[in-house]
Amino acid sequence: MKALVLMEHDGAALRRGSGAALGFARAITEDVTVLVLGEGIAAMTAEAAKFAPALAADNAALADPVADRWAHVIAEVVRTHKAELVVATATTWAKDIVGRAAGLLGGAMASDVIGHELKEGELRLRRPMFAGAIIATITLKGSPQIITVRSSVYDIPEPAATPFAIKAVAVDVAALPNDMEFEGIDRRIDERPDVTEARIVVSGGRAFKSSEDYERLVGSLADRLGAATGSSRALVDAGITPNSLQVGQTGKIVAPDLYLALGISGAVQHLAGMKNSRVIAAINQDSDAPIFEFSDFGLIGDVYEEVPRLIEQLNSSQ
Amino acid sequence: MNGELSREIFGNLDDTSRNFFYVLALVSCAVFAWGVWWRMRLWRRGRPDSEHIDWSNAFHNICTRVLAQRTLRRSRPAASFAHRMLFWGFIGLFIGTILVGLEHYGSAALGREVTTPLFHKGTYFVIYEITMDTFGLLMIGAAVWFARRRMRADSSMEHRTPDWLVLGLLITLGVTGYFIEGLRIIRENTPMPGISFVGFGCSKVFVAAGVGKTNVDSIHFGLWWFHSMSAFAFIAALPFCRLAHAIAGVLSLATIPRPLGHMEPIPMEEVEKTGEVGAGRLEQFTRHELLRLDACVSCGRCEDMCPAYEAGKPLSPRDLVQDLRGHMETPQPGALHGETISAETLWSCTTCNACNDICPLGVRPVDYITEMRRHLIGEGELRGAPATSLQKMQRSGNPWGLPSQDRLGWADGLGVPTVKDNPGFDVLYWVGCSAAYDRRVMKVARAVAQLLQWAEVNFAVLGTEERCTGESARRMGDEFLFQELATSNIETFSSHDVKKILTHCPHCLNSLRQDYPQFDGQYEVTHHTQFLAELVAAGKLKATTVMNEKVTYHDPCYLARVNGITEPPRTLLPQNLEEMPRHGCQTACCGAGGGRMWFDDPASERIGTGRVTEALTTGAQTVAVSCPFCLTMMTDGITAKDSEVKVCDVAELMMDENG
Amino acid sequence: MKILVPCKRVPDPDQKLRLKADGSNIDDAAVSFILNPFDAIAVEEALRIREVAHPDAEIVAVGICPGEGEAELRTALAMGADRALQVEHDGMLDPWNVARLLTAVIEREQPGLVLMGKQAVDDDSNQTGQFLAALLGWPQATFASQLEFIDGGLRVHRETDLGIEVICLTLPAVVTADLRLNEPRYASLPSILRAKKKSIEHTTPAELGVVLEHRVQLLSMEAVNNQRQCEQVSNVANLLAKLREAEVIEK
Repeated sequence: MKALVLMEHDGAALRRGSGAALGFARAITEDVTVLVLGEGIAAMTAEAAKFAPALAADNAALADPVADRWAHVIAEVVRTHKAELVVATATTWAKDIVGRAAGLLGGAMASDVIGHELKEGELRLRRPMFAGAIIATITLKGSPQIITVRSSVYDIPEPAATPFAIKAVAVDVAALPNDMEFEGIDRRIDERPDVTEARIVVSGGRAFKSSEDYERLVGSLADRLGAATGSSRALVDAGITPNSLQVGQTGKIVAPDLYLALGISGAVQHLAGMKNSRVIAAINQDSDAPIFEFSDFGLIGDVYEEVPRLIEQLNSSQ
Repeated sequence: MNGELSREIFGNLDDTSRNFFYVLALVSCAVFAWGVWWRMRLWRRGRPDSEHIDWSNAFHNICTRVLAQRTLRRSRPAASFAHRMLFWGFIGLFIGTILVGLEHYGSAALGREVTTPLFHKGTYFVIYEITMDTFGLLMIGAAVWFARRRMRADSSMEHRTPDWLVLGLLITLGVTGYFIEGLRIIRENTPMPGISFVGFGCSKVFVAAGVGKTNVDSIHFGLWWFHSMSAFAFIAALPFCRLAHAIAGVLSLATIPRPLGHMEPIPMEEVEKTGEVGAGRLEQFTRHELLRLDACVSCGRCEDMCPAYEAGKPLSPRDLVQDLRGHMETPQPGALHGETISAETLWSCTTCNACNDICPLGVRPVDYITEMRRHLIGEGELRGAPATSLQKMQRSGNPWGLPSQDRLGWADGLGVPTVKDNPGFDVLYWVGCSAAYDRRVMKVARAVAQLLQWAEVNFAVLGTEERCTGESARRMGDEFLFQELATSNIETFSSHDVKKILTHCPHCLNSLRQDYPQFDGQYEVTHHTQFLAELVAAGKLKATTVMNEKVTYHDPCYLARVNGITEPPRTLLPQNLEEMPRHGCQTACCGAGGGRMWFDDPASERIGTGRVTEALTTGAQTVAVSCPFCLTMMTDGITAKDSEVKVCDVAELMMDENG
Repeated sequence: MKILVPCKRVPDPDQKLRLKADGSNIDDAAVSFILNPFDAIAVEEALRIREVAHPDAEIVAVGICPGEGEAELRTALAMGADRALQVEHDGMLDPWNVARLLTAVIEREQPGLVLMGKQAVDDDSNQTGQFLAALLGWPQATFASQLEFIDGGLRVHRETDLGIEVICLTLPAVVTADLRLNEPRYASLPSILRAKKKSIEHTTPAELGVVLEHRVQLLSMEAVNNQRQCEQVSNVANLLAKLREAEVIEK
């Protein structure tokens, strides 16, 4: 099976998560090629070529990740390359651009895949539905099969000793659509992901006595996990966290894969905001705290002691 | 006068004068009638009321509320006393004038000479004169007291310039009345002048000032006309100034407003026909509701009681009513919603009913608010967390959208029977959404259930068949969501033949008692404190009589004020209860009613923080409550103030004694 | 201008879903359905566009659902959509076929803008809008958090992993709504009653000339978390181990 893996980048470097797509493709077939699009992407293509033969669509018309042009080029490459499997890591980039490309290629697409199985000659894919409450096993009919995978599930393969060949892709600029224009991006470099969108939310409650403590403990843990921060109403009331972080019935409703409730008691108003989280883990000093009745994992302890230990453990296991 | 103890009526007035008098009387009455008609035209723009006037009740109400001035009992003791004096003084003098009229025209009709009065003589006359002079003093004294208060301008009472006219006229009428009396005494040499003691005093002063037989007639004449003109001015001006409350207020107090906590249903067919719901325009209020706008004298008692106003919210019940009144009077008013009354004002209300309760004129600010909320909901104007709560109530049967299958989780391990387990139950324990899902409130339900079990009460719960009563949905203005929930619950009640219901939530209690009968759901509904008090009285349970720490009790609005239940919870608490200043029916709202529980307020702006401070000021170590909303609000409020004071339900406090 | 809003009928995410005994699909029996929350956001945005920029805009809600699915289209009408179109189809439909059906509808309706939710909360595919744009050859703006009309088209703020991206596109276009685009108005029962007077047209895939070509075959489903049983751990090392095992933290 010929697989084409689409490598995502932010203009400067390849995004780490793209490696998961590579890992998935490798698990299915030997014949893997990677594709990088953009302008002035020589360095990034070279980086990608460490893992597989690389195709580079380097053109001024592709300077910005504009969906109509990029999808057009991707579809072209897939057709000429006769790829049967198109893989990318499930990010907003992939959903936007690879999704459109799939629409140009017949629509046999599965997104957010978290597992697979080759059985009876067909590729069976596992993907979450109903905000992760259900895992469905599906197969795709038609070719090519376009798949986006969750970055946390597949391992990034090791780079090869010697880099692979790089081939340039000719881009027919005249044939490119021109109805979209990229104006700019307000990069969220230092900011954490939004609490309603993040995969992991680290949330703090009344146990935290000051904004400094909150940042030092909840903030650091969130950064270590690439997570968003949240808080209960108590902290917002106390002026320790801003209203935008409040999770709950009168705040934000979130449904991350992991909700870490630190020093939160678990009143029903808070529950209403995070009950659809896939996994809830709580750390609280009070063994009677209602949050424990609503968690998957619980640790009875003082957050001021346990959170630093948690951060340390995460750092040491890197 | 032939030795009869009486006085001449219309003395010193010739026929011309008298006729002129009658003409002026007619004119002033005509102006008065026109004024009243003009106001009535405004009221009649409303839609007809569904309630028919119960005349015997109206009569009773006029006697108690108007004549006995009962509605003034509960607030502002000084002003209330002064008003009673003013009112009774004026009414007394008014009746006196009528009696004189009767005497005069009765006599004439019977062809008697003016020298032989019909009844205005003898002992009657003595009593009459003393009484009138006394009433006059009451009236003038009260008017002067009000004038002085007005000059200080220190209360929430709204002061308007025309009010000086009113007070001025009252004082003028009173004073000139005495002057005329004094002059008449001089003129007629009335026997036993001392019975008109004030007039008598005036006559002495006049004589000392040089009034005698030569000039008394002209002075009397002049002053009499001045007095009459003042009286005519008073009558004519009545409908156009603050005195109009004498008409609208009486009508308001006579027609029984609904009991507190009652809401009128809207038939779905009507909405389908008109496409409109609630009050989007002034004309969509009822005629009685518009009439009540004129009954408001802007005294501000309601504002003083309003918890939203206390918390700095943009809601003053008095301002709301006055704004609506202004809107009613303006020929080309702007829009009712947005221009006259803002949505934020309407959403600030907790429907605690303190304003409805305290108004001496029977005005019901909460009723306007809920009618206008119905319109906002109908137009989809509610956004954010409260709208989501309504949506969750509709979809999941509880405001948090938690699974309905989990409604019996609170009873884990207690062996609480459901209606399926125990179909022969006597009383249904209605658990409510808070106790079903809020971990803290669950402990209250567990306490109640255990107490019932220890007392061997034959009860059952609905379990997963229970859905939100819809009380807060109705008070937020979503009438049809309420009706959907109510009819669903009533069907469930019917299928299990429910007759008696016991609940620990005053909001559920009120809804089951007052709302549900409108949809053919008639049940005997009891609050858990009442039920437990009965069990204690029957010796089946013990009340906590002594606690080694101070306890205070926070009366829930919907239990104490709206449903009058204040004693049963107190019988279950220690005798050395530390009462808060605002307790019993005068309780102050915790801030969660009217759907406010589902709104998001920063801590500093939350309604009810004043109440929390009041509770902490008592020095009690435990605050007892008997409502899940109060429990949540007081707990959160006290925790926010970093206090260690405990908040518990009355039932929880009974656990140790009975376990 | 005409704004088309595809509206999906999805099971209420607040309820507990049960699977059929054979694990082939969810047990439809006691399931209550709602209008997909992201599509409600799209309807709301269309209403705001009408209130602010285009008072003459006609808003058409389109749903692909079985007969009983009218209720969700009524919700869109109750919020303020002018009319609705129901394409009758029972059962799950993959994004490819949804996009093809919508393409046929769009060829009939000729809207200037298609506004839809970024994904449906049942299958969470996040594909339909993109497929539709590709089939139509229209520009797309996915995960829109802000929308404004400019000379020549739209300026859209998009929520991406890297930050807020701003793009401009010509009309007609397909825009998919993200959570933060707006807060939908509450369609109360009175407005739903009023909406009964608005029309819902009915059609079928056959009438639209679309032969369904299934791309996704559902083999089985398994439920993930039914009841949370709190497993106590003794220290953070164990907690991390459990979280890694649950695949919510990277290894």
